[in-house]
Amino acid sequence: MGQFIQYMINGVISGSVLALIALGIVAVFKATKVVNFAHGHLILFGAYFYFTFSVVLSEAAFMPDWIRSWDPAWLQAYAGDAAMFSPKAAIASWVSDLPRILLGLIGALAANAVLALIIERLVMRPLLGQSAFAMILSTVGLIWVLEGSAGLIWTAEAEQVPALGPNFPIRFELFDQNLFLFSGSLVNLVVALLLFASLMLVLRYTRSGVAIRATAEDQSTAYAMGINVPRVFSTAWLVASTTGAVAGAILASRNGLSPAIGLFGLSVLAVVLMGGLDSFAGVLIASMLVGILSSMAQWKLGGGVAEIVPYVAVLVVILIRPHGFMGQEEIERI
Amino acid sequence: MITGHFKTDYSADEGIWSNWPKRWGLVAALIGLAIFPFMASNYALLLAGQIGIFIVAVTGLNVLIGYTGLMSLGHGAFFAVGAYTTVAIHHEWPLTFPLITLVISTVVAAAFGVLFGLPSLRVKGLYLAVATLSANFIILFLIEQDWLAEWTGGVRGTETPNAVFFGIELVSQQAKYFFIMPVMVLMLLFAQNLFRTRFGRALIAIRDKDYSAEILGIALFSYKLKSFAISAAYCGAAGSLWAYFFPAILPEDFGLNMSITLVVCLVAGGMGRTLGPIFGTILILLVPEMLKVVAAAITGGDATSQTWVSPTRDILFGLMIIGFLIFEPMGLVNIWDRFWRFMSRWPFAK
Amino acid sequence: MLSVTQASLAFGGIKALDDVSFTAASGEITAIIGPNGAGKTSLFNIISGFYKPQQGRILFDEQDITHLRADKRAELGIARTFQNIALFRGMSVLENIKLGGHTRLSTGFWSAGFFYGEARREEARLRAEIERDVIDFLELDHIRKAPVAALPYGLQKRVELGRALAMQPKVLLLDEPVAGMNREETEDMARFILDIQARWGTTILLVEHDMGMVMDISNQVVVLNFGRQIALGTPDQVQANPAVIEAYLGTSATTEATATEEPA
Repeated sequence: MGQFIQYMINGVISGSVLALIALGIVAVFKATKVVNFAHGHLILFGAYFYFTFSVVLSEAAFMPDWIRSWDPAWLQAYAGDAAMFSPKAAIASWVSDLPRILLGLIGALAANAVLALIIERLVMRPLLGQSAFAMILSTVGLIWVLEGSAGLIWTAEAEQVPALGPNFPIRFELFDQNLFLFSGSLVNLVVALLLFASLMLVLRYTRSGVAIRATAEDQSTAYAMGINVPRVFSTAWLVASTTGAVAGAILASRNGLSPAIGLFGLSVLAVVLMGGLDSFAGVLIASMLVGILSSMAQWKLGGGVAEIVPYVAVLVVILIRPHGFMGQEEIERI
Repeated sequence: MITGHFKTDYSADEGIWSNWPKRWGLVAALIGLAIFPFMASNYALLLAGQIGIFIVAVTGLNVLIGYTGLMSLGHGAFFAVGAYTTVAIHHEWPLTFPLITLVISTVVAAAFGVLFGLPSLRVKGLYLAVATLSANFIILFLIEQDWLAEWTGGVRGTETPNAVFFGIELVSQQAKYFFIMPVMVLMLLFAQNLFRTRFGRALIAIRDKDYSAEILGIALFSYKLKSFAISAAYCGAAGSLWAYFFPAILPEDFGLNMSITLVVCLVAGGMGRTLGPIFGTILILLVPEMLKVVAAAITGGDATSQTWVSPTRDILFGLMIIGFLIFEPMGLVNIWDRFWRFMSRWPFAK
Repeated sequence: MLSVTQASLAFGGIKALDDVSFTAASGEITAIIGPNGAGKTSLFNIISGFYKPQQGRILFDEQDITHLRADKRAELGIARTFQNIALFRGMSVLENIKLGGHTRLSTGFWSAGFFYGEARREEARLRAEIERDVIDFLELDHIRKAPVAALPYGLQKRVELGRALAMQPKVLLLDEPVAGMNREETEDMARFILDIQARWGTTILLVEHDMGMVMDISNQVVVLNFGRQIALGTPDQVQANPAVIEAYLGTSATTEATATEEPA
């Protein structure tokens, strides 16, 4: 029972990261009807950018010392003689890392946004109006372009990056079971869910949100109603790339920085289809489900099986509900 | 100027080698294929064999994507099934006649094709792409399992047998070439014939307008599954040839990378055309080799060890996909067609 | 030949068809008319098998086909054309028409792949048959190799009719065969329809808005309104039916014609 709850919690945490990644795929699909197979590699770039700004750049010679390691007097006083691995020490070390974490995040968001705009302009826009097949394949082509470019720019070795939040183990009791989790994971969970929720609110209540939804309904009508459809496309790609940058930072700090992040992003595509391509709620449910299933598979069957859980799950779901949990079925008129 | 080709009966009009350029083109191509191995280096033969095997697989994919309009990003899996079936057969019965192994591998792959074609009954397009992609991951995962390792070698891969015909073992590149090419030619002709009869027309009808096909009495379910079976069978045959051609295989040889490469060969060549897979495969497999030559010229000497070569090849590969989709979505065959249209009118019109 | 008994079809809460019954007699032309959204195409869709009616039955040659798949019905001999032309746009006229012969051919996969013997003979036979019965008959010989997408609308409709004819159907469903055609093209099409009836004795069902043509060529007329069948009879009977006049001209016309017939 204790094990079960423990793995359940782990599942929810990884589910929330899946949801954050899936968010980008759904946003782009809703606005542009393009399913971005390269989203995982957009995330990979986000992770590399985060690494570049928070590690490489902050350690550059021209950077002031306080960015590399912020060490004001009050922080020294706070840390005092805190024991290793104690919450206090973890928080103190996080605060001293804070400048470079912020630099990394801001840099990654900005750089990824620019990258997404370039992709949208150069690759996606010329293909407007082409078949779904062409759209899918061009994003598949992007996978190789991005992966190759990443290989040229950054060496492909696993690197360490600072975590978004302070990282110390938390022990607690639930239903008389001793459980634990890392505070860093908790921060990731909160960040992911906050981003997810705020984006849904934006879509529901703001002008550009309505524009995106209108474009999703019917592109040509949206055009006729005076909505700047190309700008909607750019907005969607911006949303995808910035949330992707955060996801990249989370993944890199959790599992280390490596090209495998791109492939992980691909498995999220399976999650998205499970939930229903155009439904944020469905995708959230699917993310949690896959997160939990993977975690359970890891517990009972080992890590190898956990990796293919999303693929098995999506096959099963598609056979039973062809358009996912909450996806809209397209009705063909004869 | 050729103004038209005149025929006196309907069966002549139905022929595929209907005019002399086509007939002599075919003869020339066959002669070229036959004498090539006597003039080429081992390296060229290695490439040629690889291209020949890929043409078989891409032709199979063409049946599914090009003619039936069903998407797949997982055909590398059927390639794997064919290759591993061949290895397993030789593991159990080392002296099996290669053609029998080839046929069995093909049939086994076709069976897997039917199984993983089942989602196509309910979903199309993107959903099918992801379903087949999933199938690819799952099949490779199964191949890597320990309980199959006796036959598959598990994650570490396995050595593969050589084909033995009547006591003659095919060891040299040249000998292997003469095994691969006849199979390729026969399978190409088979596919070409398929699409001039009721069977092939039914597949094309499903691609163009499925409900309209249904109303003409074409059973969508059965034809879609047959299309999956045929395309998987072609990939299975290619896999079997692959196992005979290379000294060893690894599960990861047949991953997403291969599946996508197959699709890209098809797109680059031109979907729904017999010549498409041939043109596309030659281009897509030769470009990385050319890059090697260029890299060698730039760095002066062996450049394969340079760290930038492999990423550059990836970028080039991706750019080719996108470039074809944007600038020549009908593929190389379209350029070929334009050339012949131009030639048949020259010099009277542009 | 073909009869629909008490068929009802609903999408969610909307009743597309409500208790429709009629019988199309063998070798006759039955027209189905009604205002837009009356359920005419839905009726065709339950006959050809795209939708399954929630209630009622469809009998073809005394056989219950209500639950048969669309392609099986085609094999039995039900052919149709579509309101928005559903030709295979990438193919030539000839290829489109050849596809109509699908159910009458028997080439299997292997003989198709090797193209020997029967497959070869069968293709030649089909071609000769199509040339005689479809291409000459519908006067399509000048465009047989033309890609369908390049043809004008009227010709495309005729090619679609040709494709249905290549099935040698017992029942032919024509969904608005002359919609959007000019007078001359309409007369051509009417002539073809009558010729088909005379030459092969085909039972024809027809959805059409062109009243002149409907009243001229049909033996029986079914009138639908909001999914309900409001009249059934010969063209003359239907034209005199007050409910029909009401459906087409509105309530006031009815009250003037027959004050008693007003529905509750």
